[in-house]
Amino acid sequence: MGTTSKFDVVIVGAGPAGCSSAYLLARAGLRVLLVERGRSAGSKLLWGGKAYAQPIREVWPELDKEAPIHRWVTRERFSFVWGDRILTVEYKLGRSVAFTSYLPELVSWMARKAESAGALLVEDVRVDEIVVKDGRVVGVRSGDDVVRADVVIDAEGVNRMLLEKLGLAEKLDVNSGVALGVKETLSLDSKLIEERFNLDKGEGLSWLVAGDITRGLPGGGFIYTMRDSISIGLVIPIGPAAKAAEEGILKEHVSSLVESFRLHPYFNRLWREADVIEYGGRMTIEGGLSMMPRRLYAPGLLVVGDAAGFLVNTGYTIRGVDTAVYSGKLAAETVIEALSRGGFTEDNLKAYEDKVRRSYIYRELRNHSGVEDIMKDPFYFTKLPQVVVGAAGRLFEADYEEPTLIRSVVEASRDAGISLVRAFFKLARVVRRL
Amino acid sequence: MSSTGVKLKRLKLGDLLQRDVWDVDEARHIEVLDQRGLPIKALLLLCPMGCYTMAGERLLMSYEGCVECATCRVLSNPHQIRWEYPRSGRGIQYRFT
Repeated sequence: MGTTSKFDVVIVGAGPAGCSSAYLLARAGLRVLLVERGRSAGSKLLWGGKAYAQPIREVWPELDKEAPIHRWVTRERFSFVWGDRILTVEYKLGRSVAFTSYLPELVSWMARKAESAGALLVEDVRVDEIVVKDGRVVGVRSGDDVVRADVVIDAEGVNRMLLEKLGLAEKLDVNSGVALGVKETLSLDSKLIEERFNLDKGEGLSWLVAGDITRGLPGGGFIYTMRDSISIGLVIPIGPAAKAAEEGILKEHVSSLVESFRLHPYFNRLWREADVIEYGGRMTIEGGLSMMPRRLYAPGLLVVGDAAGFLVNTGYTIRGVDTAVYSGKLAAETVIEALSRGGFTEDNLKAYEDKVRRSYIYRELRNHSGVEDIMKDPFYFTKLPQVVVGAAGRLFEADYEEPTLIRSVVEASRDAGISLVRAFFKLARVVRRL
Repeated sequence: MSSTGVKLKRLKLGDLLQRDVWDVDEARHIEVLDQRGLPIKALLLLCPMGCYTMAGERLLMSYEGCVECATCRVLSNPHQIRWEYPRSGRGIQYRFT
């Protein structure tokens, strides 16, 4: 027989968003249940490797001292790769605003914070359904067990099956704006990492790569330095990749693309001794507003983190963990305010949506909306790197006479088979959106 | 150096999977119900763990190596592929990701 119990708040998913809400609500004295399907919080999580610190510090000011931070990012690199020609730009930061870590490790820390604040963390339990009664969310069900709550916070992540069941999100499909991230973790001595990437002790580097490493598919590569490992991988929008596979344009398995990236001579020299210590994949959001549900609340329900589509992709920075934590904070504040305003009426929960729309999360999503369209346009992943790298080649590979910059771009565009006018408009579009 | 030679070798998917830790559920959580209309090439190439293979004309799904990324869920309808998370915390146990 099933059991029933009652909490003030039940949170589904002990990821960055769920832990943030659980921590703040438990600290405010509420009875909080945090339910996680993984055997331990974080065990189902995979990311590129970098988080922006300041929004997370708003929830945990002790972040810098206590969290399992691997490296503070002081260098940002961006590369265009086409064949054996590569253009790389590096920015040395004046101050570090982001750090690297393993997400299972970071989230495990966040979950312990929530527990120490008084939240009840239950791991190894899959929530099967968010329970609705008389048009109102009243709890969650796992198997035969029902837990009732005044409010449920849905922090289930990008594959939001519970939200779909409630009819609050469309079923994910190839047009949803989701991408596949595939990654390898390469173990490497921390001193070697610092030598090879030109870093001081404890400093880290973050590197985005565009070009033929995705074999003409939209998307790109990432490289992040961890404490004593390197995280490398590719993020590929699922829709265009599926189309390319079906049309026979993509002929290799995605793991083979990641292996080619690892073995690429330009990059491999940085980690040539490294062993692959883990390999995996996870779905992510391309960016922009397309994954944000029409409503972020319903009677008795708030939606946070990836489930709410809160991943910002500006083209040169990607942030999902800090936005998740921050949305968890906004949800917790909403719940606490609703209590003092007479309960969880629809009006009182609507305040969450208003908070989100006034926050940096929504502004960032809106300002960089359209990046997800760019992510679908092969121009930016085949022609653009070809033009950039081709133009650089004309400037730097001249035996006698070097063309003018404009001339080199005109010639490179012609070689890539696009008109300069078209390239100009495409570029203007991308620059405006970034 | 011979050890360097090993590191420079291209790893097959099977080698990559050996790096990972699973606690496999005895109950299947993903199942092909009807392969008609499925983007089979996409499933074969995009499932990062290579869970989808062909046995002749038949599409097979080996759930044991699944990392629950849901790419195959995105590529299908519920009547084509039944998709659930494993019961409780079974399946992939990520560590350095």
